[in-house]
Parts: sequence; C-alpha cells; structure tokens
Amino acid sequence: MADKKADQFYTRPPKMGKWESFKVFLWNPETSQFLGRTGSSWGKILLFYVIFYAALIGFFAAMLAVFYQTLDDNKPKWQGANGLIGSNPGLGFRPMPPDSNVESTLIWYKTGEPLNINYWTEELDRFLEPYHKQSGSENVDNCEKKDRPDENKFCEFKITADYAPCIKDMRYGFDGKERGGPCIFLKLNKIFGWQPDFYTNATAPNDMPKHLRDHIAKEEQQGKHHVIWVDCAGENPADIENIGPINYHPQRGFKGKYFPFHNVKGYVSPLVAVHFERPQRGVLINIECKAWARNIIHDRVDRRGSVHFELMVD
Amino acid sequence: MIRGSIYSQSEGTTRKGSQILGADDARNTAVSVAVEVSAKVAENRKRLKQGKSAKDNVADLKEELNMDEHLVPLEELYSRYNTNVETGLPSAIAEKMADEKPNRLTPQKQTPAVIKFLLTLFGGFSMLLWIGGVLAIIAYIIDYSRDSGAPRDNLYLGVVLIAVVCITSIFSYYQEAKSDAVMKGFLKMQPQRSHVLRDGKWSEVDADFLVVGDIITVTYGNVVPADIRIITASSFKVDNSSLTGEAEALSRSPECTDDNPMETKNLAFYSTNAVEGTCTAIVLRTGDDTFIGKIARLVGKTKKKETPIRKEIRHFIHLITGLALFLGAIFFTLAMTVQKQQFLQALVFLIGIIVANVPEGLLATVTVSLTLTARKMAKNNVIVKNLEAVETLGSTSCICSDKTGTLTQNRMTVNHLWYDLRVWAVDPAVEDCFQKEHNSFKMLYSIATLNSRATFEETDQSKPLSEWRTSGDASESALIKFCQQIRPISDARKDNPKVAEIPFNSTNKYAVTVCEQRDEGGRFVVYMKGAPERVLARCSKILVCDEEAPLDDTYKEHFEKAYKELGGLGERVLGFAYHNLDTSHYPPGFQFDSEKPNFPCEGLVFAGLYALIDPPRPAVPSSVKACQSAGIRVIMVTGDHPLTAKAIARSVNIIRDETVDELAARKGISESQVEPGEAKAIVVSGQKLKEMDEEEVQNIIRDYDQIVFARTSPQQKLVIVEAVQNVGNVVAVTGDGVNDSPALRQADIGVAMGIAGTDVSKSAADMILLDDDFSSIVKGVEEGRLIFDNIKKSIAYTLTSNIPELTPFLVNVLLNIPLPLSTIMILCIDLGTDMYPAISLAYESAESDIMKRRPRDSKKDKLVNNKLLQITYLQIGVLQACAGFFNYLIVMGDHGFLPKHLKGLREQWDNRNINNLRDSYGQEWTYESRKNLESMAQTAFLLAIVQVQWADLIICKTRMLSILHQGMRNKHLIIALIFETTLIILLTYAPGMSVAFRTYSLKPIYWVSALPFACLILLFDEMRKLIIRKYPQGWVRRNLYY
Repeated sequence: MADKKADQFYTRPPKMGKWESFKVFLWNPETSQFLGRTGSSWGKILLFYVIFYAALIGFFAAMLAVFYQTLDDNKPKWQGANGLIGSNPGLGFRPMPPDSNVESTLIWYKTGEPLNINYWTEELDRFLEPYHKQSGSENVDNCEKKDRPDENKFCEFKITADYAPCIKDMRYGFDGKERGGPCIFLKLNKIFGWQPDFYTNATAPNDMPKHLRDHIAKEEQQGKHHVIWVDCAGENPADIENIGPINYHPQRGFKGKYFPFHNVKGYVSPLVAVHFERPQRGVLINIECKAWARNIIHDRVDRRGSVHFELMVD
Repeated sequence: MIRGSIYSQSEGTTRKGSQILGADDARNTAVSVAVEVSAKVAENRKRLKQGKSAKDNVADLKEELNMDEHLVPLEELYSRYNTNVETGLPSAIAEKMADEKPNRLTPQKQTPAVIKFLLTLFGGFSMLLWIGGVLAIIAYIIDYSRDSGAPRDNLYLGVVLIAVVCITSIFSYYQEAKSDAVMKGFLKMQPQRSHVLRDGKWSEVDADFLVVGDIITVTYGNVVPADIRIITASSFKVDNSSLTGEAEALSRSPECTDDNPMETKNLAFYSTNAVEGTCTAIVLRTGDDTFIGKIARLVGKTKKKETPIRKEIRHFIHLITGLALFLGAIFFTLAMTVQKQQFLQALVFLIGIIVANVPEGLLATVTVSLTLTARKMAKNNVIVKNLEAVETLGSTSCICSDKTGTLTQNRMTVNHLWYDLRVWAVDPAVEDCFQKEHNSFKMLYSIATLNSRATFEETDQSKPLSEWRTSGDASESALIKFCQQIRPISDARKDNPKVAEIPFNSTNKYAVTVCEQRDEGGRFVVYMKGAPERVLARCSKILVCDEEAPLDDTYKEHFEKAYKELGGLGERVLGFAYHNLDTSHYPPGFQFDSEKPNFPCEGLVFAGLYALIDPPRPAVPSSVKACQSAGIRVIMVTGDHPLTAKAIARSVNIIRDETVDELAARKGISESQVEPGEAKAIVVSGQKLKEMDEEEVQNIIRDYDQIVFARTSPQQKLVIVEAVQNVGNVVAVTGDGVNDSPALRQADIGVAMGIAGTDVSKSAADMILLDDDFSSIVKGVEEGRLIFDNIKKSIAYTLTSNIPELTPFLVNVLLNIPLPLSTIMILCIDLGTDMYPAISLAYESAESDIMKRRPRDSKKDKLVNNKLLQITYLQIGVLQACAGFFNYLIVMGDHGFLPKHLKGLREQWDNRNINNLRDSYGQEWTYESRKNLESMAQTAFLLAIVQVQWADLIICKTRMLSILHQGMRNKHLIIALIFETTLIILLTYAPGMSVAFRTYSLKPIYWVSALPFACLILLFDEMRKLIIRKYPQGWVRRNLYY
C-alpha cells in the first residue's frame, strides 16, 4: 500500500449539492465537459459507434444478400403443405366493410340511399379493376376450348354482361330495384401451386347439400365437373328463411382451368358473384359460403374453406 | 432476537469453552441486550463528546437505577420480600409469581415474516412486473368486453407475470430465511437452570421461573440469572464486561461498599458471567426490571447499514426501472398519437416493453450466486449470517482488527529468557537456541516449575503441548508449558515437594515457595518469582555462569538494560530468584510456616528473567501481508498496552516502518514535534485519543499508513471505526470480546471469532470465523471480490438479451411489422434459458490475481456502470437483435413475405377478419395460417437469441482475458450451455409447447442462420479484449472495459 497514494485516496471530494453536481455534470466549465465528456471525447465515442453500426449494417446487408440468393423471384421457397400457408385455401368475399371498422364483416346499406350504397359499389369497382385490365397482359390466354393455359400463361377471367345484375352498370345489384339484393363476390385464396381435387358424384360427401350433389351429378354427365363448387346458405334456420333465392355467376363455382396459381404476372383469381335475389329487408342475415373440392376442409372457427359475413338491407 | 448460546461445536475443547458451558437463556438475552447497548452507545456517540461518552453513558444508565436494596440490612430485605434465608420462598407463591411475571426479557419486536415477505413481493423489479401483469389483465378485460371470443393471450400473460413475481419473491424470501436458520442452528438454545431455595429445600429450576425474593446460589461458570444481592460469597468474581466493558473480573462479597449500585460489591447483575467462586444471593429484580432489561427497553431498534452490494443492486434497479418506464412512456405515447393505435394495442406494447426491460431472473441469480459463495466459505470455516456480507468483505478497504485472540493466540508463551547476562530468544522452530546445560538455566527451570500453582488438567499426548488445558493464571501456564518441554514438571515437582508457600499478592508483587530438594539430601530451597524490580530488590547476589556473584551496580545495569529491552518488546517480564537454605539452620523435617514466614525472603540470589508474550497466530503475518498487497489497510485496535500492541503489530506486519515515537526518540524531539508524513507508522493510545475530536482522528487515519490504537475502550473502538468509515473506507472489524461488539455492529462487516468469541460479539457480527483464523478473512476477501466480478459478469450476460427482447416491440411500433417476438417468449428467455447460464458464471474462476489489486472504490467502481451498459445494450445487444431479426426475416421471406413487404403490414396482419392477406408472391394467407407463420418467425427469433447468448456467455466469462487463456474449465457453464440448448429444443419441438408458448417447429436450416452473428460476437469481443490487453492505457480500455 503506497502511503503517498493513500493520502490522495483519502482526500475528500468537495461537498456539492445534488443540483449543483448535476449542473456540473451537464456542463463543467473547468474541463469543458458536457455530460461528463469533452468535445473530442464525444467525437471519438460517436465515431466509434458510427463505424460500429456501419459495419454491423454492412454485415447484416451481406447476410440478407446471401439470403436473397436462395430465393426465387417468382415462387416462394416453401410451398403448399411444405410451407405454412397450407393446402387448404381460404375463401374471401368482396366488398369488405370499411377499414375503420376492421373487425366487422357486416354488409349493411339502405336501399335507395346513394351515399350509403356508393361505398360498397366503389369498393367493388376498385376490386374489379384488374379484371378489366387483364386482356392487356402479355401472359393472358383466353383458354377457349382448352382446360389449361399455355406454359407461363394464365386463363383470362372476364366479367361479362351475362353477370347481370352483378356488373358495374347495374351497380352490382346494390340499388336494389324490385326488392332485389346485392351481389357479393367470392374468391378463393391464392396458394402457389395449389391444384384442386374435384368432386364427382361418386366422391361427393354426405354433408354436401343435396342440391349441390345433384348439380354435380348433372354437370359430371357433361364433363363439366372440373369445378370448385361454391354454396352459400343462411347459418341459422331464421337466416335460411330470410336469405331468399341465390344466383351464382358465371356458375356455381371456380373453373379448374384457373388453377394452379403460379404467380404469373397479371394473374387474377377467378370469382363467383353471388346474387341474393330477394333477401328479407331490415333483418340481419348470417351467411356462410363454402368452397367444395376434395382437398378443401371446412372449419368454421378457423375459417378454412368457407367464409362468413352478415348482410342487412334496409 | 437470536436466542441461544454458542458453544455447541467447541465445547470443552478450550479453556474458554469450558467456562461457557453453562451458557444459557439469561446470556442469550444478554446477547441481544448487549448489542442494543452498543447500538445505544452508537447513538449517543454523536451528541456526546467522544472522550466522555463512555462515562456519560454510564452516568445516564446510573440515573435509571434508583434502588436501596443494596443499602438496607438483609433482614429488612427478607421481610420486604416475605422470604428468609433458611427456607426461601414458599414454592406455591413463587410459582404463581413466576407465572405472572417470568424472569425473561420481553423479546424485541421483529419485523413479522409477513411484512418481510411483502417487502420482497413489492420491492425491486416486482413493482414493474405487477404493473405489467395488471395491465395485461386489464387489456384482456377490455378485449373480452368487446368480443367474448377474444384470445386469452393477455390474460395468460398477466397471470404468468404475477406468478413470476410471486415465485421469485417466495424464492428470495426462502433463501433469506434459510440463511437465518443456519445462524439460529449455530446459536443453539441451551435453557439455563438455576439453584434455588424454596420451602426449605434446594432445587433446580429454569431461570425463567425465578422471582423476586428467591434465595439462589450462583457458581463459577454460570451466568447471573437476575439482579441479585450477595448474602454469602467465597472468592466470588463476576465479569461485568457486557455492561461496562471492563474486561477484568470483579470480586463480589456481602459488604455494601458504595452507595452507587453499579460500584457496590454486594450486587451482581443479570446476564453477567460468574467467573470464579460461588455465592448465595437474594433475587432483587427479574426480567425487564433488571438493569439490563431497562436498557433493553430504552434502546430503540438500530438499523444496520446498507451493504455495498445492496447499494449497488438498488442503484442498478433504479437505472433499469427508469429506463423501462422512460421507454414505456415514450412508446406508449408514440403508439397512441403518431401511430393512432387503439389504447388496447398501445397497452400491449407497454407491457412488452416493461417485460423486455426487466431482467426477471436476475435478482434470483444474484441471490443464488451469493448463496453459492456463502456455501463455499462455510467450507473454509467462515459462517456468513447475512448473505450480502459475502460481497462486503470483497469491497473492504480497511480491516480494524482486535489484537488478543484474533491476531494473537490468546495464550501467553515464553518468548525470551535472560540469564548469564544475556538475552536468549526462544524459537520453537530452533532446537537448542539456549544453553540448557547451564546451571542458570536449570535454576530458572526449577523456579518456574516449583514456584507455580499451575498444573496441567490434561496430558493428552495426541495434542501439541501448547493446546493442553491448564489451571492457573496465564503466565504460570505459559511457564509450565515451557518447562514441560525441558523435563516433565510432574517429575520435578515429585522430587521437590513444596513445604511452604506465600502466594502472589498485589502489595508484594511476588510469590515465594519453599521446596525440599530430595536428591540433595532434603535441603530446602526458597524460590521467588515476581515483578523483576521487586525481586531484584530482595537479592544480594546474582547467578552468573554457575557462580553466585555479588550483585553490584554493573550487574544491576545489565539487569536494567535487559529489563528495558524486553519490556520494550511489549513482553511481560518476570524476575526469578532463589536461596539455598543452610541445612544447619533448616535441617530436614524443619517446619515452615507460610502464615508467619520463618524463612528468609531477602538476600536471595537473582537467577534471571522470563519474558512472556501472547504470540501472533502463525498464519497472521502472511495474511496481513496478503491484505496489504490487496490494497487493504490493517489497523490494530486493542485494549492492550501500547508497547505490547506495537510489538505484535510489528511481528504481524501491521507496522513495518519507524513509528512516530521511535522517530521522536531517535531525533531527541517530542512526539508532537514529528510532522505527519515524516513517519509512516503511529501508535495512538486511548489516552491520546480521548483528547482528539473526530477531525483529528480522521487526520491520523489519512496521514499514517500503519496505525495501532492501543488501550482503547469499547466506545473508542466505535469512534475509530466510524472515523475510518468517514474517511471513505468500507471497514471490516474483527474481534472476539464483548468490548468489540459495538465496533462489530458499527462496521460494514463485523467478523467474530467462532472459538474464542463471546456470544455477544457473535450476535453483533455478520460473519464468524469458526477456526478463529485471521487468514480465513483473506480467503473471504478473495471470494468477495470474485463474486463481485462474477455478479458483474452475470449482469452483463443477462442484460445483453434485453435488447433483442426490447427491439421487436420498438420495431413493431415504429415500422408496423408483425410482432417479431412475443412477451411470453421473453419470459422463456429471462426465466428459462438465461437463468442457469447466468448462475453458472458465479462459478467462474478469477481472471487475474484479484488479491493484487486495490479494493474497489465504492464511489467509482459500480456494479453496473455506463461502460457495462454500453457494451451490453449498444454493442453486443444490438448484434444479438440483428441475429434475431435476421432469423425472423428469413422465416418470413422463405414463406413468401419478403422484408420490403413487411413494413406497415401489422394492422392487416393482426386483423382476424382479413382472410386473404397477400404476400410477395401473390399468395393469399388466412388469419390462421399467417399466425402460424408468425409463431414460426417468433420461434426463430427466440432461437437466434439463445444461439447468440451462447456466444454472449462465452464472452462474459472474461472481462479482459481471451477465452483461449481462460479456457472452458467451468463445468457448470458447459452444463448450462447444454441445459439452455435442451430447453430451446423442448420449447420448439416438444408437444404441447406450441399451445403453451406459441412456438412452432423449426426447419433445421433455421438452426444455422443466426450462427454467423454468434461468431461475429465472439470475434468482436475477442478483438476488444485484445486491444484492451495490448493498450492498457488506451482509448478502448478507458471506454470499452467494464
């Protein structure tokens, strides 16, 4: 133990109040220290961190670049069952309620109130815009007379006049003349490479509604059964009563020729427009639509293979 | 109040041990009382002028004592208490009285266990976690009120957080209770019994049942069971040190010698020790009415000073809590205002930020580390009463040590002889260091053997001679032990039976025996032993080289010189003389009369001198040196004589240079003329200390390197310790006596001696050296420093993962990406994978010789300092966060959500009604499938944290050395790595985990992706350490070394 050092060791620091010592810490005029460091000291430590973080960002970027090398621009690395998206596409509906009400699935409007209706129709206009543009796409194949598009092409999905009233000009049925109901568009979630496995009369399950089974049997005879069938119904007995007749455009399902999805530029999902011809006014109707293919499992809670929404027309 | 007495282990193994065998309840209560007394002394100290404090204090107490029981005749006393000395009290009445008012002190109120538990439940980080838990439950309630199908995540999280608080509190409470229990077991209860006369019969009852008026007997070895007045006594002596600090035993007899109850000889007080003789006495006061009971009630509870480690942890908790609240508040407002998120969402962020910031497992880690060290120290015979004291010893910068029994063996030993005009040093290591064949020596042997009342109580050949128990006073015991080595004293005594004896008394200051020399035909010899100058005065001749020469002035000068020299060494010097009686005057069979000496006690032949000293314990000098090289000052504070103190201080290296008085003597000036700084060493006596004020005492401590305080009173010891503390030291005090206990209490860490120590000192201390070995302190300092370093490393390790835990929430709020890490997973890290590795750092061995550096400066060397926070938070932590985000991004990217696509996705991502969220490849994800993806990405983030924590654990092993030097010898650390890895594998793959922790099985590739970051951490830190080692004064060392 050095004795002289001991002397220094034991000298008492000058007494300072808390506030005073804080002020000195903030700015010490004697040593020109700001927050306990001089200018050059701050400079050095900041320089260190600039270099450190720059190097780190560089390393991170390099790692990401290596990662990007392992990716394909057009197809995801893990597909279908191998990835997490699964092989059981979900069903979606349009138009969706406004974002301010994200948790809601209620389509509610007053007949004859243009302001009220405009939201829904504009929503649909926006949604359908790509469908009108696809003919300009270089990858489009009109697929007339064939079941599959050419390589790296996709089949054109057109919204034609026979969708009426589910067309823009008729405001998708929302203006509700003659007590008519709106059109709701259904689409199947795109899953890369997903190939549907179609039902035949023989393979149709027991829980399939009878009218659909009959329909499949009928179509199968004409060889037109390569379709993912869609069926909408009221959820509860009251809903079934209130829902009224339903029309599907262009048909009761999604044609097989639009599958599988291969992320070809310009591809649009096939749609089914569900027209509620005569829904009961002024009541809330719970509706569930299901897509039917052998490799689609239905699960109402997890909303797999089906979609739920409420309709209320005043 | 700790009740119980100590002598469980060492009973009967030492002389002191046997005295304490009778330890009992009264003593136990006395233990705490004496501590309180010392506390009161401490309180008074400030307002009383220090020199007087002792007197004033006693004066205070005297005023309290208003009694006449010692003045009135015994008969009056008997009638006052309806008792008499023949039959005592009727037992029926006595028992009834005892039931109403048992003879014990009302125990001091302790903090109830419930309060203690509540303190741990709401102290530290617990409050933050409570806030987090309650917020989480509130969030769930809000959520639930809107949608009864709301996910239970928040509820679950809230419950988990509250459970975490409760479990960690129970754990630390249990740890504390356990170390308390260790101490209680150590101070074992031994109920005291007391001999009492009731209904005319003597019987033994519990001291608790004594009542006023009881007639009792007290014998040697007992503790006085109440305040009593002596009726009859035979050489009865009590040790009042627990009351007054007087170390000397005081004789007690039936006469009233003073009006003052404290001074009079016919009173003895509750809790004092009877050290000699027996007495019968009448009980005057019991329980709380006794003198000591009164003080006990007067003295308020004292608060022990906060330990350095607790201070550090409090500092650290404040820092982290402040940071958590600051970040929480900022991001909560940011989420609410800028991002316009719902209150509920913002609340969830807030919880996440709090949980990420709080190192939930850290306090438990610290407790476990301290416990491990305490256990390690217990193996080295050091019992730690207060866990935190483990570290305090490491911070100690000054040790104030008592001399007797701590530095020395508390066993007088012959150190020098003087005969044939020469001083002979006795060195047990050297054979024949003196001429055993000389007649002078033989004569000295005879006198020491034959003029002695001391005998061996045991002659256990298996034990070294020095440990044999003896009866008799310390000097005589030392002499017979010395003589026994030359020739068994029993043989010598058999050959030379004692025929007359004049025992030592304080007026004569010598003792004389007359023995018959059987082998010389029954010649009688007078042997005299005593104070050298008194003995010399009775001599006319001196034995020099086999010849009896007349004692002339030259010989007297020789004697004076030797006497002064030996005295100057602090040794107790005894003179020896003899006289061969003329057989014609004293024929065989002559009847000697001891009462009226009929033999000559003058005109003897002077034989020589024995010089005795209580020698230092063998390991002490090197231990003191070890302390000094560790930058710890060792100051001696003793009640002993300055010369003795100085001699011992010099022999144990406490004093190494010329002292002020020596310098003054050399220069021929007075001591006051010596400038401070001229000399390095000083011996300050209690006398001088009395005249100094606190400032002057502090100046002495500042000015001198080597200090000895001698002849100090207990109060002065306290003043010294306080002064040393005020100069800026963390002070350890070692001591064994009652008079040390105030100082032990005042010290930052009091260290008591396990064998020689009194109960009072042990209960005042924080640490007990079971083997009384001062060198255990050095071991303790080393352990304390090591654990401080290792806790620092544990904290560095634990804090680092806070950044990868925190950043996901920040980025989640700022960039609106899906949450990269869930709150539950943060808990999995903090309380799961990080726990064992953090604890394993407690087993890390020291990097360098920690005993070569100075003790830490408690003002500058913080446990958690800004450099540590920089390295953990801003450097390694950020690196770790990068690893986590990288894993998160590649899991997302591999499944279709490329990094550029994630920004701003959060709102849609978390919307349960969006079932077709589009990824970078045009695929559309349902809520369920993308939540699975989120789980997997979060699991990958979690895995990345665990993997970079591997690297972090390895870099935290050392602060300066390369891992290549330090090696991986800490097997606990390796087990911890395996444990951590096993845990993350279980979390990822075990069934059920996906439900409990929302984890998701990972593809093997994601086990590799974060590894480059782990390597980068190792590399970066090795470089940092390399530069630190290479440029010890460099910028990196100054800025990047914690």
